[in-house]
Amino acid sequence: MAGQPFNPRRTGKDPYLTPTFEQQALEFLPKLRRFAAGLAGHPADGDDLCQMTIERALANRDKWQVGTRLDSWMYRIMRNLWIDEQRARNRRSRTFVSDEAGLLVGIDGGQEARVELGNVDRALAVLPPEQREAVVLVMVEGFSYREAAEIVGCPVGTLNSRLVRGRDALLAILEPRA
Amino acid sequence: MSITDNELAAFADGELPPAEAARIEAAVAVSPELAAKLAGHRALKARLAGHFTPVLEQDVPDRLAALLRPSPPVIDLAAARADRANRSRLPRWSWIAGPALAASLLIAVFVPGDRDSPAGYADGQLAALLDRQVVADQNPQSATRVLLSFRRQDGDYCRAYAAADTSGIACRDDQGWALVEQGAGLSASQSEYEQAGSSMAQLLERAQEMAVGGALDAQGEQAARERGWHD
Repeated sequence: MAGQPFNPRRTGKDPYLTPTFEQQALEFLPKLRRFAAGLAGHPADGDDLCQMTIERALANRDKWQVGTRLDSWMYRIMRNLWIDEQRARNRRSRTFVSDEAGLLVGIDGGQEARVELGNVDRALAVLPPEQREAVVLVMVEGFSYREAAEIVGCPVGTLNSRLVRGRDALLAILEPRA
Repeated sequence: MSITDNELAAFADGELPPAEAARIEAAVAVSPELAAKLAGHRALKARLAGHFTPVLEQDVPDRLAALLRPSPPVIDLAAARADRANRSRLPRWSWIAGPALAASLLIAVFVPGDRDSPAGYADGQLAALLDRQVVADQNPQSATRVLLSFRRQDGDYCRAYAAADTSGIACRDDQGWALVEQGAGLSASQSEYEQAGSSMAQLLERAQEMAVGGALDAQGEQAARERGWHD
């Protein structure tokens, strides 16, 4: 006060032992970006999604329960933002793709699948959003089925069946010899 | 003993309990067909993961990191003083401490203490109050009041308080409540009210500068108290 410089007392405690909300988020920001790229399919779109996620998280930080995993909480925010946009886009374009359609692509060797052979981005783009997020959470981000289901907010069985369908479609497109 | 595609995929993802995993492993060892399928699963996983690995290695764009970085500390003290003087006398946080301050119209003139001596710790009575009292259920007439609570950069909990003869900010560390800021109390002659008001404003302004992420709400305070103001 009174314009005096402030000199915080140091008690030998490492400030990083109790990282703040921001410090924690900065720590896993690269991973958050990877998840965004996996969902959005394009680095620039991914960073836009990442920015929206951080802003949403900061605005709702009082809803995060201290002691729970901040990364899972922010993955969930990102996932919700993305899936809402996907669904809105599908409604607009009236080209809703059912879960089953994602499975059929590749298996029946359709033109779409052949054109996109060999390209991970394009193969992922073929999947319905729910299958895509399941694939990305488990196969790219390395979450367990249970953790992925918690982030998505669905039963483990549902997550598992989406994953199986998405994976089978990708196998057919990307690893046809398997 | 048949192995479903589902089981094979779950095995590749490391999702099976040890006994199940051992069964799949044994089956894969004797079946070229299963081994090929498993290799396909693993190749796909490696390809997907490898495709996105470069994102992890890139520098995070500054527009993203900047959202999470606190504004850099002001190094130039003269500039900091000028900056503080230029800003509004009543900081935004005064509304939070408002209820605790409202009962008192008489606030002492601020007398800066001896800043060369190291900051001490709150004594028994004040320490007990800081440990126990949450702002939400505080009697606004009580002699010593907690104005607000927050966390500073290093994660320590801090609380701004005001009593008749003193006020300040105390931060909880391993030894107790370290008095990191100290100022004048709430009682003084009426003519000094105006200056005293600015002293209280300075206290709140200081709290605002120190805090990371805003003042704690009632729930946050209770949770912090249950943990002994320590994570």
